[in-house]
Amino acid sequence: MTGKMGNRAALVVLVLVLAGIPASIVGYQYWLRPALADHRVVDIAALVPENGGFSPDLIRVGVGETITLRFAADDVAHGIAIGPGLDIDLGQIDPGHVGEVTLTPDSPGVYTYYCNTWCSPNHWRMRGILEVVDPTAAGAVGAPPDPIIEALIAASVDIDAKPQLAEGISPDRPNGEQKLETVEVPPGLLDPTWRLSHTPAEGLVALQAQNPEVADDVLTDVTAYLWSEPTPTVEIKELFAKNCAACHGELGAGDGPAATSTLETPVAFADVAWFRRGDIWYAKIRRGGMGTDMPNFGTLFTIEETRLLVDYLWSLSFGES
Amino acid sequence: MKTMSRESPTDEKRFDVLGRMPRLRRMVLSRAFQPVLMLLLLAPFALAVTAGLLGTSAGNRNFGIVFVWIVWWALLMVLLVPGLGRFWCTVCPIPAPGEWIQRRGIIGGVAKLRTLGLRWPRRLRNMWLQNAGFLMLALFSTIILTRPSVSAAVIVGLTGTAVGMSLLFEKRTFCKYVCPIGGFIGLYSMVAPVELRVRDAQVCVDHRSKDCITGNENGYGCPWMVYPGKLDRNLDCGFCTECLKTCTMDNVVVNLRRPGTDLGKPVRGKRIDEAFKALIMLTCSIIYPAVLFGPWATVKAWAGIESLGGWLIYAAGFLAVTLVVMPGLFWLAVSRGQKRSCSGLTIRQAFNEYAHALIPLGLASWIAFSVGFALTNGSYALAAISDPLGWGWNLFGTREAGWTPYLSSTAPGIQAVILLCGLIFSVRTSLRVGFRHDPSGATTMQATSPVAVFLLACTLALLWLYLG
Amino acid sequence: MSENQRRPITARRVILLLVVLAVLLVPIPTFHTPHSRDVVIDASQFEYSPPRLNINRGDTVNVTLNASDVVHGFFLDGYEIDSRVEPGISQKFTFTADRSGKFRYRCSVACGPLHPFMIGELVVGPNEPVWRASALAVVAAAAVLLGARKRRMA
Repeated sequence: MTGKMGNRAALVVLVLVLAGIPASIVGYQYWLRPALADHRVVDIAALVPENGGFSPDLIRVGVGETITLRFAADDVAHGIAIGPGLDIDLGQIDPGHVGEVTLTPDSPGVYTYYCNTWCSPNHWRMRGILEVVDPTAAGAVGAPPDPIIEALIAASVDIDAKPQLAEGISPDRPNGEQKLETVEVPPGLLDPTWRLSHTPAEGLVALQAQNPEVADDVLTDVTAYLWSEPTPTVEIKELFAKNCAACHGELGAGDGPAATSTLETPVAFADVAWFRRGDIWYAKIRRGGMGTDMPNFGTLFTIEETRLLVDYLWSLSFGES
Repeated sequence: MKTMSRESPTDEKRFDVLGRMPRLRRMVLSRAFQPVLMLLLLAPFALAVTAGLLGTSAGNRNFGIVFVWIVWWALLMVLLVPGLGRFWCTVCPIPAPGEWIQRRGIIGGVAKLRTLGLRWPRRLRNMWLQNAGFLMLALFSTIILTRPSVSAAVIVGLTGTAVGMSLLFEKRTFCKYVCPIGGFIGLYSMVAPVELRVRDAQVCVDHRSKDCITGNENGYGCPWMVYPGKLDRNLDCGFCTECLKTCTMDNVVVNLRRPGTDLGKPVRGKRIDEAFKALIMLTCSIIYPAVLFGPWATVKAWAGIESLGGWLIYAAGFLAVTLVVMPGLFWLAVSRGQKRSCSGLTIRQAFNEYAHALIPLGLASWIAFSVGFALTNGSYALAAISDPLGWGWNLFGTREAGWTPYLSSTAPGIQAVILLCGLIFSVRTSLRVGFRHDPSGATTMQATSPVAVFLLACTLALLWLYLG
Repeated sequence: MSENQRRPITARRVILLLVVLAVLLVPIPTFHTPHSRDVVIDASQFEYSPPRLNINRGDTVNVTLNASDVVHGFFLDGYEIDSRVEPGISQKFTFTADRSGKFRYRCSVACGPLHPFMIGELVVGPNEPVWRASALAVVAAAAVLLGARKRRMA
């Protein structure tokens, strides 16, 4: 190995090592790998919003085009999901890991990819848009109108008005269920749509008018039972735990771990339930709370999910856990 | 124990490794031996730097952190230094580019060196720069250990310094006087059971041409500026194997020996720098587990530079403990011992000599620290080798290997045993120093016991950090 | 070395061995009746609260684990319990502290730069290992010193 030959061989090895290793790493990642893929691969860095959130945060894809999205978490664990219409949940991606999904969207629209695991005080800002465009159709795709919110606006209801506090009301829901048969319930109260646009307090008034002889506390229990009637499903409880509990607390007491970092103390559902309309809760969830840190979930939850979530909030308010 | 009580250490048995293993000897005598090892090591080195600079900032998924601060560090402190002494310096790629520029070649390049070949200033021919460099790294270690880009920058910085110094100064000046890693490897290599020595010093004295210094067609003159004929401890020798190649008298050998033979020998000159090296290393080995493995989050935040003020408090405390408190306590222990002894040593001399007693315990303490860290986090290596940059690659199919601490229930016991061995070794070393200056043994106990108490106190502190 | 000199060393070694065995094996009595304990542990970057938990051997420990900023984990050395917790969703688990000593709990989900050093301590008392090891260190140092009294070391 001595002499010129060995020396020259060593020099070649040296260059191969020092230049070849970095070059092949970068070359593979940024040139060869995309070149080998038969469709577009988009690498998305996922960082807490303070450090840039998703980058890129806007991806355009044509209808029928196959695309692979690779989400790389770099700082803390993020939960990666794509909202209604695509309904993808990649689960949590730990730092240094990459989660990927390949999809071929078949209907145009604006889809939101977002973090669904609390990752920072600005966690809810961690969102990006996947825009599926149909080159043949003209015009921008807008969000479909939301009938419940439209109705609120039409009725000039102030969605962001401060809720009245209902102090000291702790109805006995099981008792309400037992006593349901013994009281006369006005038809409105049995109609979920009516209940959605009325407060339990209004419901109680209606019940009292119909049943003047029944004690108030029994009617209170019955009202509580009616408003929280559907038993929450496991899925909806999970939805709440993942998206709401960090601020509002696991049982909706307004005491989540992030409760201290928000602009206003997060609502404790039991405190405001009595004077709160379900459709206002619905609107708050879908479009966010103006002037508070309540983010909008309209692009993340389906309308049906939001309705079920509102029902679950009543359950939390009236002691279902 | 038996060898110790019955034989004098000077005529202790040594095992000539290369003499008994001709094939290994042929490899070591090849001029390609060191360059090939360096080239081999340059590959993971280049990968570590690339990963550190370009890869994920999640250190536990980045080859540049996992293979440097978990795998390499554990190999170095647990196996290489205690087992093979300076062998890391044989294969270390950091000085390689600079050395090859100096030599205008990688394997047996031309003799005319491309360097200014300046001599290192006399005032700096000691370990103080290495001490300062190590303390600098130690102050920022929480950042260096956890940020891939910072870690890579440190490696690049060291390599750049090595290249720059190779252009200016002669031979391995960087390794010998500046490299903060080489400093403690050298110190602790004195414990190792391997040494490079001459067979017969008289042969060297009588040998006219001194090829080991000048170099010849078989190899370079000693890059570490050592005259092998007077080499008597591993600290001074970079284990580059050149003198094995150049010696025309076949007088250079690699021996297996009883561990720690270099310790407790007379210290030539004023080597307070070495005493401080030993103190700094032992102190850091106590501070590290307290800060990094301890439950005190505030101190951790200070060390992690979450605020400048906090870090300044940490830095001041760190430097005060390493440079004032621990040396002060050790000084008190030594001077208390000397007051009651008839060794005739000045306290300064005694301080330097007894500092050797800190070396085995310090090494044991570093082994305990590294064993704990490696067992806890070693499993990261599996994923990092398949996905070195945290980019979602899966080269060997082990990307999804999870984090699994190994031996989490036995690790503290292992650490305790290592520390106890270090303590015993250290107390024996202090006795060896004591007896050397007091051959009758009349006041050795008085001179040594305060040092032993200091060593015991350090051990107890470590035991409480790991087990208490 | 003559036979005469070797004997006392052997006697000493027997004594040393007995002392070491005593240090390692003498049982440490406890007067504690095991009971059930509820513990809440909060995980945040990069610490656990409480940072150090003292419990008695034999106790049953009911842990409620919360995360307050990002996803964290909880791995308990020695007991090999592993749990993952995200903010807002607490985790509950129970174990019996049947081994004494110090056991570190460490974050098992990467949570930021200092993640590998996010560590708390569970001390199951009486902490026999540390007392035995400390006593052993004292015995070892004393034995080396005393054993070397008349021996030439260098």
